[in-house]
Amino acid sequence: MDPGLLAQHAFNGLMLGVIYALVAVGFTLFFGVLDVIKFSHGDVVMLGAFTALAVSAGLTGAGVMSHPLVLLAMLVIAITLMAVVGALLARLLVLPLRGAPAINVLLITLMAGTVIREGVRLFYPQGSNPKPFPRLLPGGTIEIGSFTLRHDSAILFVIGVAAIVGVYLTLARTRLGLAIRAVAQDPETAAAMGIPLTATVLATFAIGSALAALAGVVNGLYYSEISFNLGLLLGAIGFSAAVVGGLGNVYGAILGGFLFAALQTIGAVALPFASAYKDVFAFAAVIVLMALRPAGLLAERSAERI
Amino acid sequence: MTATIWPALAALLVSAAGVLGLLLAEKQWAVIAIVIAAGVAMLVATRLGWDDRIRRSGGAHACTVSGVALALVVATAFVLREHNFALLMLCTVLLTIVAGLGLTIQFGHAGVVNFAGAAFFGIGAYAAAVLATKTALPHPLVILAGGVCAALIGSVLVLPLLRTRGHYAALITIAFGILFKTFLEVNDTLGGPQGLKVPGFALLGHAFNDPIAIDDETEWSFYLAYAGLSLVIAAAAYVLVRRLERSWIGLAFDAVRLDETAAAAFGVNVAAWKIAAFSIGNFLIGLAGAAYAMMTGFVAPTSFTFGDSLILVSIVILGGLGNALGLVPAALIVVLLPEKLQAIQEYRFLLFALLVIVILLVRPGGLLPRPMRDYSAGEIR
Amino acid sequence: MKFASLFVALVIALAGLPVEAKDTVRIAFIGPLTGGVSANGLGGRNSADLAVRLRNADAKAPYTYELVVLDDECKPNVGVQVATKAAADNGIVAGVTHYCSTVAMAAVEVYRKFGLPVVVWGAVLPDITYANDYKEVHRVNGTMINQNEAAARFMTGLKFKRWAVIHDTTDYGKGHNKYFSEDLAKNGGQILGTFGVTADQQDFSAELTKIKELKPEVIYFAGLTPIGVRIRSQMDKLGVKAVFQGTSGIVSDAFIEGLGPLAEGVVAFREGAPAEKLPGGRAFLDAYTKQKYPDDPEAYGPFAFAAATLIMDAIDRVGPDRKKVRAELNRTRDYDSIVGKITFDDRRQNAVPLITRFVVQDGKWLVWEDSDYASGKRALVKK
Repeated sequence: MDPGLLAQHAFNGLMLGVIYALVAVGFTLFFGVLDVIKFSHGDVVMLGAFTALAVSAGLTGAGVMSHPLVLLAMLVIAITLMAVVGALLARLLVLPLRGAPAINVLLITLMAGTVIREGVRLFYPQGSNPKPFPRLLPGGTIEIGSFTLRHDSAILFVIGVAAIVGVYLTLARTRLGLAIRAVAQDPETAAAMGIPLTATVLATFAIGSALAALAGVVNGLYYSEISFNLGLLLGAIGFSAAVVGGLGNVYGAILGGFLFAALQTIGAVALPFASAYKDVFAFAAVIVLMALRPAGLLAERSAERI
Repeated sequence: MTATIWPALAALLVSAAGVLGLLLAEKQWAVIAIVIAAGVAMLVATRLGWDDRIRRSGGAHACTVSGVALALVVATAFVLREHNFALLMLCTVLLTIVAGLGLTIQFGHAGVVNFAGAAFFGIGAYAAAVLATKTALPHPLVILAGGVCAALIGSVLVLPLLRTRGHYAALITIAFGILFKTFLEVNDTLGGPQGLKVPGFALLGHAFNDPIAIDDETEWSFYLAYAGLSLVIAAAAYVLVRRLERSWIGLAFDAVRLDETAAAAFGVNVAAWKIAAFSIGNFLIGLAGAAYAMMTGFVAPTSFTFGDSLILVSIVILGGLGNALGLVPAALIVVLLPEKLQAIQEYRFLLFALLVIVILLVRPGGLLPRPMRDYSAGEIR
Repeated sequence: MKFASLFVALVIALAGLPVEAKDTVRIAFIGPLTGGVSANGLGGRNSADLAVRLRNADAKAPYTYELVVLDDECKPNVGVQVATKAAADNGIVAGVTHYCSTVAMAAVEVYRKFGLPVVVWGAVLPDITYANDYKEVHRVNGTMINQNEAAARFMTGLKFKRWAVIHDTTDYGKGHNKYFSEDLAKNGGQILGTFGVTADQQDFSAELTKIKELKPEVIYFAGLTPIGVRIRSQMDKLGVKAVFQGTSGIVSDAFIEGLGPLAEGVVAFREGAPAEKLPGGRAFLDAYTKQKYPDDPEAYGPFAFAAATLIMDAIDRVGPDRKKVRAELNRTRDYDSIVGKITFDDRRQNAVPLITRFVVQDGKWLVWEDSDYASGKRALVKK
């Protein structure tokens, strides 16, 4: 194959991987602190994207034309708002269900996701149609042979990677990160050591949801289009990536994200049969992978207590 | 001390009246009034401790109460004999309960997760479509075969499921569910995205799709026959699940769910019981799918999405994980309510989701949480 | 509206004038009001609703109509449910039904069983009318066969030779792919590669990069607006330079709104004359705007309007009786509607003579003949 095209496929896959990884990290963080799966995560990604879109529409309507300014406002407002939404979801829906079977959290967050999705569809103006996302990044292209790289794609890739590194550093180097890791390892002991459980949980949900907002904005800027149901599949894939990588492990989530992107790209590009089978291929591969590595690629070391 | 039978009977009668009202309600205010009344009744019953009395009285007179419940469903179907749509909804609720019973064995009893309920439902449905068109197999056997196919195809997942647990196992079934639907869509051998037509159920020369003519004036809905079929399947499935739950098999399932390690240490064959629960559950789900397909006459991949699997799981959780009885109110809410909310058109899913959230916040364990096994009275309940 | 008429009735009654009470007749509308293609369903719903409102405002109409709206979610199992609900209700005389072909395929059996005459307003799969001979089932919109014959002939006529095909794996996309591929082969076009994608797919860069390698002149897309928008915008991102040719599924305002300037030069085909070209169509669009519906009518709104009007005209003539209405609908010949003349063939399929070719120019779907592209001022392929 033409090396230019090969590079193109590789970059497509990497970009997809960054978006998946951003979503997957959220899943793994929530699981880490509370052992729960928050199924509304994909819809929070979508809500983040729509918040950003509303901000940009509002600013453009108010006459602000500077792209960097609009972009900055979009990011700040979407991320802050989603962090609040994430913390609220945890406070109002997830924490009250601590005594119930863990799977009930799945149902209540699933329904919360439906509320968010249907809410955007019904109450955002013309929400049931796909919306164009403004192109705020420089649009030039670099062409090397048959490899086309747009400047904005490159910038988005860097932003995504930086965010993932940022979260990693927060977890590894800060007091908050230490508290999150402590709660993840053993909530009772952590509480006994004076770590405020509720506050730590809320902070974790805020961080995960802020990442979701970023994923939403990156997704919008990359595809130049968003729709109310983009969270459905993205949520399912993010969850798959987090599990394949090993729940509770941030590296695992990142790895899982990139792996899933690679599977889909390979499924569409390199397989002898029709490209429509790529999802069949990707999910079949997931099943085989889980059979081989039952606790994910990077298994949590304390998962097996036997 | 034996409890009297009256609390359970009263509860049954009140619920039956409510269900009948809901099935027949045309006006939006009537639907809303019934839902609110049911909610209030539930709250009051819990607050005054009636729920406990109802449960004890039901437990003490299990046979009679079950018989009365069965008679009430038959009576409901009979009252509705000329209402095609209400009967269709009744059948759908009954068959959904059967699928829910399958998931209850898996999720609630043995702790084997299954997020591909709709896929196994679909396997049953497709098996019925193919077998009823291509073979001369008697239709009751076609429906049984639907269940067997679901159990057999499910066995592909046994190996990865045995090696994983919790959310990891969940992912395997999710992957299978998505894979199944996509495969049906891209592969044309089973009709592709257009789906397949399914012939109606026939028994001893009577085609269930023919209306039942009583005399020249009156004609009963053909769904009445399907209501009978669904009720037979549902009752059989319910008895099977309750018998299993109370037997030593149910105890083994509980042991496997609560602590695999301890169970293994006490000589319980964890793998075998997990396989058993998974297969019995899939069999029931496939059974429901086959009957449903023959009733509606059409199967297509879009009816068996991941979203539909989640709806089935929602029913099991909403009812109270592991409690077969809880499936009844849960299935009524999840199947009937969105349908009854048609008048608010595009807003109905929003309202429905909000309602489920409220229910879970008020009753975190589901509508009717599974009671603890109680050995104190000297009998297993 | 309701209150106003109530008020008028009250005033007349109080004035002691004799008032002839009209009977109320119920007709059903079924379409997807929730889920991914709800935009089309809501547009259709509003259009049918508009038809009913206009009729009820007409003092000369013999009946007052009530539209019973049901949501099929674009799922066959739900479709069968709501179809049963409408068909089993003897108070409902006829129905304006279905946008999604799979749902329509499942539901026609129900209409047959209960004898409810329906007019399909948006589903395009030929089998809906042609696979069975059900006297209850009519269709005002054309099928995908007509559309693709015209599309293949027109595009090869523009001297295009090499195509790549992307279709969604629903019956809509697969059916279009089948008919277009056959017709293209007849007209001498060549298909370099065919790619099936799922209807909820977000990322098409793998498929498009492969297409880039094949260097087609035209990308034929068979699917609906949401992923059409995604594919067109990702083509631009990956530097795939080809003409984007769509089907009726992308002829919607949402497609242009979703793409902005990138929509320029996209071509698509739809059966029937465009509403604004017909005398009644303009009036429809004006009335629609006046009602301030929150959603656009979308491409098939005019068909839903025409179907509802056709049904109400039939009921006005023969009375609210299913059998009579069915016979009356069966007989439809040269009926003037906002989508052109409606004539049902022996399978009650509207023989839509005209396939309109559309091209996007300056943010609007223009009829090809009126565009700068036809006159040669602009070219689909940029030099």
